[in-house]
Order: sequence, then C-alpha cells, then structure tokens
Amino acid sequence: MRHLLTLTALLSVGFGSLLAQTRVVQGTVGGSDMEGGLPGVTVVQKGTYTGAFTDLDGRYSIEVTGPDAKLTFSYIGYLEQTLAVPADGKLDVILELDVTGLEEAVVIGYGNEKRSRITGSVGTIDSKEITSMPVLRTEQALQGRAAGVQVTQNSGQPGSTQSIRIRGTGSLNNAEPLFVVDGIPQSGIDYLNPADIESISVLKDAASAAIYGARGGNGVILVTTKKGSAGAPPQISYETYYGIQEPWKYMALLNAEEYGILMNESRVAAGLAPDPLLANPATLGEGTDWQDEIFQRAPIMNHSFSYTQGSSVGSTAITGSYFTQDGIIGGEKGNFERYTFRVNTTQTGGERFRMGQNVNITHLNRSALAENNEFTTPVVRALNMDPTTPVTRPDGEYAYSQFIDSDIANPANQIATTFDDWTTNRVVANAFAEVDLLPGLSYRSTFSVDYSLGSQRIFFPTYDLGIGANDPNRPAYEFRPVNSVVRAENQWANWQWEQVARYDRELKNGNELNLIAGYSALKNTYQNVVASRDSLTTNDPEQAFLDNSLNAAEQSPRASGGWGESSFLSSFLRGSYAIGDEWNVSATVRRDGSSRFGINNRYGWFPSASVAWNLTERPWVDEKDWIEFLKVRASWGMNGNADGIGNYDYTSIVINGLNYTFGPDQQQVNGAGPVVTSNPDLKWETVSQSNIGVDADLFEGKFNIILDAFVKQTNDMLAVVPIAGVVGFNPSPTNVASARNAGVELALGYQHVGEDFSYNINGNVSVIRNKVTNLGEGGQPISSGNVFGSGDFTALTEIGMPMAYFHGFETAGVFQTQAEADANEAQPDAVAGDLIFVDQNGDGVLDNDDKVMIGNPHPDFTYGLNFNASKGPFDLNVFLQGSHGNDLYNGIFRYDLNMTNLPISALERWTGEGSTNEQPRLSHTDPNRNNRVSDRFVEDGSYMRIKNVQLGYNLPESVLDRLSLEKCRVYLAATNLFTFTKYSGLDPEVGTRGTLEIGIDRGFYPSPRMFMAGLNVTF
Amino acid sequence: MKPTTLLLLGTVAFAGCKQEFLEAEPLVGSTAANYYQTAGDAEAAIVACYNPLQQEVTTLQGSGQLATHFRWYFGDIVSDDADKGGSGDGDEPELFLFEQFAGQDNARMLLGEWQSAYRGIAYCNLALANIPNIDMDSFDKERFLAEAKFIRAYWYFNLVTTFGGVPLVLDNLAPSEYQQPRATAEAIWDQIETDLTEAAPRLPYRSALSLNELGRATRGAANAMLLKAYAYQSKWSEALPIAEEIVGSGEYALAPDYGSIFTLEGENGPGSIFEIQFMNASGGNWGNSLEGTFTNVFQRARGQFGGYGFNLPTEDFVSEFEPGDPRLGATVFQEGDVMGDRGLFTTDATGFPYPYYPKKYFTNAADEAPFGDPNPNGPSNDRVIRYADVLLLHAEAAYHNGFEDIARQSLNLVRERARGGDNTILPDVTASGADLLDAIYHERRVELGLEGHRFFDLVRQGRAADVLGPLGFVQGTHEIFPIPSAEITLSGGLIEQNPGY
Repeated sequence: MRHLLTLTALLSVGFGSLLAQTRVVQGTVGGSDMEGGLPGVTVVQKGTYTGAFTDLDGRYSIEVTGPDAKLTFSYIGYLEQTLAVPADGKLDVILELDVTGLEEAVVIGYGNEKRSRITGSVGTIDSKEITSMPVLRTEQALQGRAAGVQVTQNSGQPGSTQSIRIRGTGSLNNAEPLFVVDGIPQSGIDYLNPADIESISVLKDAASAAIYGARGGNGVILVTTKKGSAGAPPQISYETYYGIQEPWKYMALLNAEEYGILMNESRVAAGLAPDPLLANPATLGEGTDWQDEIFQRAPIMNHSFSYTQGSSVGSTAITGSYFTQDGIIGGEKGNFERYTFRVNTTQTGGERFRMGQNVNITHLNRSALAENNEFTTPVVRALNMDPTTPVTRPDGEYAYSQFIDSDIANPANQIATTFDDWTTNRVVANAFAEVDLLPGLSYRSTFSVDYSLGSQRIFFPTYDLGIGANDPNRPAYEFRPVNSVVRAENQWANWQWEQVARYDRELKNGNELNLIAGYSALKNTYQNVVASRDSLTTNDPEQAFLDNSLNAAEQSPRASGGWGESSFLSSFLRGSYAIGDEWNVSATVRRDGSSRFGINNRYGWFPSASVAWNLTERPWVDEKDWIEFLKVRASWGMNGNADGIGNYDYTSIVINGLNYTFGPDQQQVNGAGPVVTSNPDLKWETVSQSNIGVDADLFEGKFNIILDAFVKQTNDMLAVVPIAGVVGFNPSPTNVASARNAGVELALGYQHVGEDFSYNINGNVSVIRNKVTNLGEGGQPISSGNVFGSGDFTALTEIGMPMAYFHGFETAGVFQTQAEADANEAQPDAVAGDLIFVDQNGDGVLDNDDKVMIGNPHPDFTYGLNFNASKGPFDLNVFLQGSHGNDLYNGIFRYDLNMTNLPISALERWTGEGSTNEQPRLSHTDPNRNNRVSDRFVEDGSYMRIKNVQLGYNLPESVLDRLSLEKCRVYLAATNLFTFTKYSGLDPEVGTRGTLEIGIDRGFYPSPRMFMAGLNVTF
Repeated sequence: MKPTTLLLLGTVAFAGCKQEFLEAEPLVGSTAANYYQTAGDAEAAIVACYNPLQQEVTTLQGSGQLATHFRWYFGDIVSDDADKGGSGDGDEPELFLFEQFAGQDNARMLLGEWQSAYRGIAYCNLALANIPNIDMDSFDKERFLAEAKFIRAYWYFNLVTTFGGVPLVLDNLAPSEYQQPRATAEAIWDQIETDLTEAAPRLPYRSALSLNELGRATRGAANAMLLKAYAYQSKWSEALPIAEEIVGSGEYALAPDYGSIFTLEGENGPGSIFEIQFMNASGGNWGNSLEGTFTNVFQRARGQFGGYGFNLPTEDFVSEFEPGDPRLGATVFQEGDVMGDRGLFTTDATGFPYPYYPKKYFTNAADEAPFGDPNPNGPSNDRVIRYADVLLLHAEAAYHNGFEDIARQSLNLVRERARGGDNTILPDVTASGADLLDAIYHERRVELGLEGHRFFDLVRQGRAADVLGPLGFVQGTHEIFPIPSAEITLSGGLIEQNPGY
C-alpha cells in the first residue's frame, strides 16, 4: 500500500511539472453543410486533457500550453480535424460533413473504434434507424437491419420475447446472444425504453466478441443509451404515438355445413353411423367463425419524454416513458404495460477525474393468455373448435362442443376465465469512476447492479359449462369445480464489479497503440417462492388471495421455492496497433472462470486476432477516383457459450419430491435422491470463427458495400447423450457435440443528398448453412418437436444435417384404387383414398427407418431492405424484410382428436378414383395413419413483409419559431402492412419454443398489423 | 488521488479471494456425495425407491420422449384377453405391433419398462449402499434395507419375465462400468430369491403396519413375490411351503364382495398383498414423478366418458366366464351398462364400435382430481398381488406336488367368494388330474382378468403357443420381448438381442 501511495504521489508531481506557458486560443467552428456556428463541438489540445466546447453560436475559447500546440475539433457526423494553433491565437474552422461515416465511432467491446479501422465484423444500427419505425421492444429494432442477424418474434402477444440468432444457430442449447447495455452484461433488455437507445452494435465475428470470452459465443449485442453529450444545450423532447392493431389474416376453415358433411363422411368411413347432431348438414349453415370470436382490434400507445444537457463539467439525461399495448386476442387479457424512468449523469472533477451514474427503474405489467402450444391456447382452440357450436347458449352461458372431448375448449370462455398477471419491478444501475493516471493511461472502475422482482398471480375461477352440475356430457375441459389461486414471487439479484485500464498512445512515427486490460467479477442469484391454495371464498378475481381460502383449516397451502447462484471471474487484455492509416492489427485474450463449470475445467482461455488493411492508402487504389475507400479485413477468434449451463449441472443434487403415497388417507411422503449423474468435466461450449470481409465506399461515398464470409465452428457443445439405462439415473449434459455454421453476408447502400430531395436505400442479405458435425459417442440423433396432431416428433438433429430438420415420411400420392392399396405390403391397413408413404428401404414395413428429410426450417437466405427519402418537410420510410426457402411444419390441427375443424383444403379430399392425388380420404379411425408426420404438413415458409411504412411531416421553421419549438414532426405509420407468403397458417413468422424447435407452427399467436399516428416535439 | 488508491486496493483484495468466489455448492439441497446422514435421510431414500413404481408413463432419459408401459400393456393386450383399442391402430402403434407379435425392438414401451425398472433398482442400490453407514435405530435400519431388497426383487422379476436375462446391477455404477453385459435368467432369478429370502423376515407383518403405512412392503408381500418367483420357474417344491406360510399367517382374507375390491374404498383391503399406491390430487403434468395413475383415463371409454379407450376385453375373454359369474360384471362393461356417473354406455356415446370396456380401473367423474389436469391424476391403486392370486398359485403348487385335495380346497375358496352366496352358480370344482389343472388355469383367467397377469401366466404354464399361436405367437421367440435396441447400442454391443428379434 505504501508503494502505491508513493507511486501516485510521484505521478501527481510529474503532471504538475508539465504545466507551463499557457495562452488562449479563440475562434468559431462551422459546418460545411450549414450557415453559422456549430454548437457543442469538442475542442481538445492534442496530447493533453485540456478541452472545451463551442457555444450556441459555435464560438470557443481554450487555454493551450507549449509552442507547438495543436487543436483537434470533433463532432458527431463531421470529419475530425487537427490544426496547429496560429501565432495570433485565432483559429476558425469549417468541419466537413462525414458523408461516408468513416470517422464515425463504432461501439465495440470495451471501447470505440473508427469505422475505417474496424477489423472484425460489427453490424450497427443507430437511433435514426431505431426511431424510423415504432419499436415495441428493443430487439425488434434489429430485425432485417443487420446482415447475419435473424430476429423472430416468438409470439404476437404483447410483451413476448424475440429469439435472435447471430450467424445461425450455434448451439443445441442456449443460442441467444449476450446483451451488454452501456458496458454491463444484462439478462434480457425488456426493461429498456427503445427511445432511450442511441445505438446498437452487433458483434458478429469471434474476434469482436472474444473480449466477452465464455459468454460471447452466440455473438454480442451492445446497446448504448442516450446521454447528455458534453457541450450540448439543454433540450426537452416529447414523443407519442397511438395506434390500432388488428389481425391481418384469418385461416380458411370449414363452415358448419361443410364440417357436418365431412365429419359424417369420416365416421361412415370408419364404420360408424353419422352423428345424429349432424344428420342434416344443410341446416347448419355457416356456423360460428371462432377466429372472429377471439380476434379483435386493440389499441397501442406510447408516451416518452427526455431531457438532456451537457457542459464541460458534466452532463445529465433524464428520460421517462409509458407504453401500453393490448392483445389482438383477448384485448386487455393480453395487455402489456411498461413504465420506465432513467437518470444518467456524468461529472468531471478537475482535469483527470470523471464519474458517472446511470439508474433505470422499470415497471412492467403483463397479462397473458396461453400461447404457442396445441393444447391450451385460444388460437389453437379457435382453429380446431367445431363451427357448429355456438359461442353461447340461449341462456347466455358459454357453450361447449358436443364433439370434441379433450383440449379444444371454448376459447371465448377460456379468455373470460383466464386471470394471469405478471408484474416486474426492475432496477438496473451502475456507477463508474475514472481517472487519468498518465497521458494516455486511464483507469476506470464500474460497479453495477441489476435487481428484479417478478410477481405472478394466477387465478383459476370456478366455472361449469354443463347444463346443471351433473350434465354427463360436459367435457372435462369445460368445468372447474374448485377455484384456486397461485402466487409466485421471483427475485433476481445480479452485481458486477469491473476494473479496466486503458492506454492509448500515438507513437513518434505516427503509429497508434491501444491497450486495454480488465478484471471483472460477477454474481447472479435467483430466489423464488410459489404458493397456491384452492377453494376460495369468492369467484371474484380481485379477491383471489391465499388467505381467502375456505377450507383453510384442513388444507395447508402448497408452497415451494428455490434458490440458486452463479458467479464469473474474468480477466482480459486487448492490444491494437495501427500502422498509419493503412494497417490495423488487434489481438485479445480473455480468461473466464465460472461456478457453473465443473471442478476439472473451472477456467477457460479465449484468444482472438484480427487485421484490417486499408487499400485506399495504396497508390493503385487511391488513383482510381471512383473508389473512395476500400478495406479488407480478416479475423479469427474463440469464444465460449456458458449461458445455457445450469448453475449446478456439474454435480448430482439430491432432490426432494420423489414422493410416494401411503395409506388410505393418501399421505404423500417425501422421497429424496439424485436424478442425474454428475459431470466434473462440464465446461463452456467452444465457438471458433474465422471471418474475412471487405468494406468499400464508391463514387464519392454514395455507394457502400460491406461483404463478409465466415465459418463458425461450435465444439464441446453440450448434449445429453443417452447412457445405458442400467445406470438408473439420467445423464447430465456433456461437452460432446459439434456444429458448423458457414455463411456470406452482404450489405449494400446507396445515398443521394440533394438540395431539396434526399434519399437512401440500404439492403442486406445473409446466406447461412447450418450443419451438425458431431453428437458424441454413438452419434445418437436427437428427436424434438413432438406435434400432437401427428402424434410424433417432427424434427431430428443428426450428424451431417442441419439442426432440427423436419424428419418424417415421404408421401407419393393417394391410393386411387383398392387394388393399388392391397398391393402395397408396407401399408397393410390402407384402403383406396389413403396416402401412399414411401417405404424407403423397401423392406415391406413402414417404420422409423423409412423416415427421411421432409423439410428444412433454416432459410436459404434472409434479407432486409430499407428506403428513406425526404423532400422538403416530408420524409418517408419503407422497410421490408423477409426470409426465403425455409420450411414450416403446420402442426395446428389436432387430427388426433378426430372431430376438430379442418382447413378448407379438406374439401379437396379424395372421394373416388381420380378425384385427387394430394389430400387423402377422411376416416375417423385413420387406420393408415394418414396424419402421421409426413411432407403433407410441410409448407414453404418463405415470406416478404412490408414491416414498416412511415410518412412524416416536419413543421416549417416559421411555425416552429412562433410556437417556440426546436423541432416538431408528425407522422403516420403502418407496421406489417402487407405480408407476401404461400404459407396457409396465420403468420409465416413462426418463432421458436426452444433451440431445437424451429419453424413448427402449433398455432402461433400472429403478429398484428398496426396503424399509428405519432408526434415528436423538441423544445 | 484517494479514490484511485481505493480502487486499486479493491482490485488486489478481490483477486485474493477468487478461489472461494467460484465455489458454488448448491444453496438448496445436497449433492449425492454428502446426503445420507440421518434417519430422516434414510427414510427419504427408501421412499425414493418406491417412487418409480408409479412410473407407467416415463420420460425417457436422453430423448425426453414419453413412453407408456403399463403392466396391462404386456400382460393383457399382448394376451388373448384384451385388444389395444385407443382411437385407431395408429394410437400407440408400437403396442399394436406387439399385440400381433410383430413388435419392434425400437419400441418406446420397451425402453420405458427397461429404464423405469433400472431407475427403481438404482435407488434401491443407493439405499442399500448408504443406509448401513447411517447412525440410526437398528430395527428401522434393517427394515429399510429389507424394503429396498423387496423393491429391487420386484423390478428384477419384471425384467426377467419381460426380457429374460438382463444385466445384473447391484451397486451404483461408475462411468467406466456403464456398459454391462446380460446375466443369465438363472442368475437374475437367484438374486430375486436371495433378496426376497433376506427381506421377508426383516419386514413387518401387514397387521403390524399403522394405517398410514399401508402400501409399504410387508413380510407377506415379500413371501408372495417369492412364491411367484418359484412358480415362474416351476420350482413347485419350493413354492408350496412359501404359499402355505402366507395362507397360514392369517394375515389375509378374501374380501366378501369381489366387486368391492376394485372400488376406491376397496383399496388395501383384506386380500391386498401388494398394491402400487396412487392418489388423485397431485397437480397435473405428464411424465415422471406423479402420484396419480394414467390407467384410469387410458382405460375409460372415449367420447363423453372422457377416456382414451384402451385395453378392450375380447369376445374370447368374455366367453371364458361361466354363466352367471358375477365377476364378469365386475370386470367388463357391456353395451347398456351404466358407466358410473358418466352415463349409459352405447357405442354412439363412445364414438367407437367396440362392445366391451374394462371396468376394474373405471373411476367416476366425482373422483377426478379436484384441480389440474385430471388425466394423469387417476386415484386407483394398481393391485399387483391379491390373496386370490396367492391361493390360486397355492392350488397350482399343491397340484404339482401331488396334493390335489389341497389344490381343490384353495381353488374352491376363490370360487366360493366369487359366488357371493348364490349357490346356483360357480359350483365347487371336483375334477382331478389334468382337468383340475385346467380348472385352476380357468379360474386364474377369470379371477385375475385384466390385472396384467394373463400373458405371463400363459408363458410360464407353457401354454402360450397353444393359446396365442393363432394370434401370431411363435414358440421360442415371443415368450419374452426384445431388448430395446437403444440399450444394445448403449451397451457397446455387450448386450445380445433375444433370439428371433
């Protein structure tokens, strides 16, 4: 300790002696594109900490030292200039507009880098792009904007998560990227107000993400929030929009008459009499359109304000927002509400000390209906419910189906009896202190917390759709004799403490050296309590509290809870060396330790190296005047994926709950034992990736190209490899599997800046091929995606094939005659009209060995296209996005239940020789299993979606002046205006339910179409 | 400069304690290595041995698939007593193939049976390895160990009768031991006999159990399992004294009313020797670790009855009953019967043309789980060994030892109870010789019908080829089922498939 003090004392003395001969420089800074001064420009004496900002008129004044002082002028969107101070102390500057964005600072891991010097593959989205369409969730801003980033809405229900895949699915387990907000890794970013975001960087290649080590394997998304920039005048702005959402598509289903005819036909085919209730189909008419009963128009609204200001001694940003969205199913039963409040402040103490604080407080309310399964969701019930059942009976009670006895309950009743509310209160805060130790050497310490409380209350009211209590016909799904309430309380508490030292130095030969070294510790804890009780005194959801249970004396409340924790300890180092403007070389290494890793593998090393060569510096490129800028890049790195590992996966925990019931009183007695084997070797999944790329700006920067090609290999992938059953316990995950993603990404941009009319058009396309390369000893394939309507798994993950590809029987038309059916020995139960399944191995038996690839859920390519134009006060944005060549498995219909409604295509069924070779006959018992997993249910999932159209109008200066406004813009917008697809389901954008459940439509909650009007005002 | 110093110091301090920082012992619960410490731990370890008995829809390890493997799948559907049923041939298609003796070795029902049996054995082995080291009451300790041996024997009995010789695992395996070869069927039977012989004297009589202990292993249950083990090996000279010991213990009696045995009130009744216990209020999910049975919903008719309609009695089975035998009405629903509070049974109401449904595991709507999904939460206990079973095995053993009088006596006890006081039906058997043996076989079929015994009885009696031949049974192959192909692969080829598969 004494040594440290001595050292710091010496350093202070050293600084003091540098202060000598000062003089004042003054002048005005303007911009090449404007008249008058440019406010807020940073003016720094090169090689010192001395700095100032220009005032509202663009004037500055700064004290400089030394005879050869140079000043650097910088401002976002303009090219930086460094000029020597003239003898008279007067220096006026006009900054050139940075048309190409080459000087723009791109946020990378632990720092910024000029676009012209980036060595890896980093996709960026700035606040302009984010605000060009109303974004409901931050992740949504990424969709279609960055090449190689695939964003899929997991559900159209308000508040639902999105699944993000950066450069393909790189893991069988957790394939979601790491989110880092203002330098702090976060679990989920639903707490952010999208309007608070300044920029998003996507670290796609391993070299860029390697500084995040064991957690960067799936790519990293860096979110930077808005701050008061130093020198910016105080500004208050207010934004709002209001919109209406609606479903954009109904599926074409049978009406009641068609249903009656087809069901009778199906029963007769199985040797049953026609159902007496359907005896006269012609009288049934249209029946109920259940889609009409669950879908509705629903409002969406947002209010958001912000205050920012900055000066030479600090900055402040205060923002707040309120957002509310009802669901297009169930309205407020699917409501999502978000309140955010954020304060971000920075302070400067003297010339060498800086501090900053950032506090986010978020309150979320979410009411949710069941979604994305084929058993309990309003969507699947509406699509499968028979159309002959009315919504309500004459007595006003909800009706139930006479034909369907399980799962498919009345969805209108379901919505009315669902009370499922989540509330989250979350505080995300951090504070940093930073000190300059020596010229070029700074040290920063940051402490951050993320504390989140999530409460859930579910109330199950009593109801009975039977006609009287003893109606023997009522299906079990249509009455609940005892009501109950469930309360769950969850607490997530995470903290991180990080130390980073930074050294930036320009060498005498003009080369630049940047070093970063850091050390961080992170701890996550999670606790929860769940309690439930039944037989409440009332059916009023407002009174659904645990203490309101009637039989409190006999029935003890059920309660359970858990507690888990994990920690990471990391150190990292990055060195970059720039040789003039031509070469930039960078290398990183990170060492990560985690409590989640087995005792034999507690620490991992993650290295990377990358290089960029700016060819523009070579004469043979420089002389071509159509090339403005040309750079080639190459990188290699290794990351880990550790976020999919459970806290205690490495050990074998004795769990309670292996119960057994004894005695006539049915006493449950606790049993305890381990369930899985332990794995002391458990470690991260290793992702190594090579990337090469070209960045080019052509024709005076009007035309931009970014081209990347990569190979990403994931090894040590965790898979649960089956072990011999004689062991008796379940196998724990082991690091055995491998997969490879290889691809090409291309982004093209063109911009035209004119006097009155400007426009730009940006497009990107990504091609990624995914292949599993190893699944451990024995290579046992993994089945996933069990679809109930077909009664089997639909997806298979096996070596040499894309992950979770669709696997089932190939069909070869329909048996047109009984003779043809009889001749087929592999299908002994087939009759004329049944589907022909191909007996691939010709062994005369249709079994698992005859299943083949029947579809690929991974797209051939994905793309996005964004068009912006402005003419006078008007601006227009059109954004479209799509996916091509991916297949979807249509698992919406519950064929296993015999009497559910069917898609309109069922009318095209086989009815006699030559009638069709596509749709089989209908049979109640389906002896040939026509509904088994086959290519019959695989559809082309390609789509192109006009994601956003927005037309804005900026109030002219004259009006603004009269109203004392800085800026005012009104706009009209439409989201999901048109979707072009051949897919028959409600929405081709089918989200994932897990990494190995890709493109399986179980009746997904569709994304709504929205029409909105908005207003942005800056004071 | 002070803050800087603090920061630097903090970093140094932090680096110093990094080792502990990453050591995360579970905050809740223990690891398997340090659990077994107290008498309470021992009891929880024993309850965990019972738990897999309830697994009839098992989440397969590795794949996570659900496999249904009820005792009545193997014992009744594969026999001539019942058809598969369900919504069609495609409902449980693997079982459909076994019903026709064309089953495949990749069937999930086999894996489910295999894995749940070895899971049960693993908990027994864990208890047997760890409980001896716990400092606790020695009487309780002996009893716990005996319970573990009884359950282990129960599983090996299921394995050896289903698959023949299987790997004999008596300890928890280290990773290097995961691949195990088959032991001979004789070695498995030997182990079953050893475990049961050791367990029986250390287990309490049923009469010594408190009400809240009903369902736990008893001396009678261990002896009855041993009797079955001898009977299945045709070791009739060993079987007879064990059967006499059970009968002579006075612990069991035939419930006066046959029909009452299968009501909820009749559970753990006077003739109950071993029942797998289920309850209807355990919440509701599919898969392992349930306290409820799926048998109720699987065996109920479809349509308004809300079931899945499996295990449908055959005409052949129904016609086996003698005229007026009240056991038919307690075993089979016929069209026109009232299915409890669920309404009148007509084929239209079920939506399927089947004329018979099983009755023993039928439950009323009023008995459904009060909340959660009622389907996996059936309340009915699985009657594994009843006193009538023991009496009929006693008769069989006596017959084979040449004591026909004793055989007739036990046989007629069963018939007398079935008669229910109506002397116009089910006259006493007076036959002798081969006719007497046939009468015992007949009695087993009707007395124990649809309780999962038939297929295995036919095999052990050497009659399977005669009776099941017309259904596709091939002698020398179908006495046992194929070893699951996945387990052969996972054994690294150490396990060889049964002949004919």
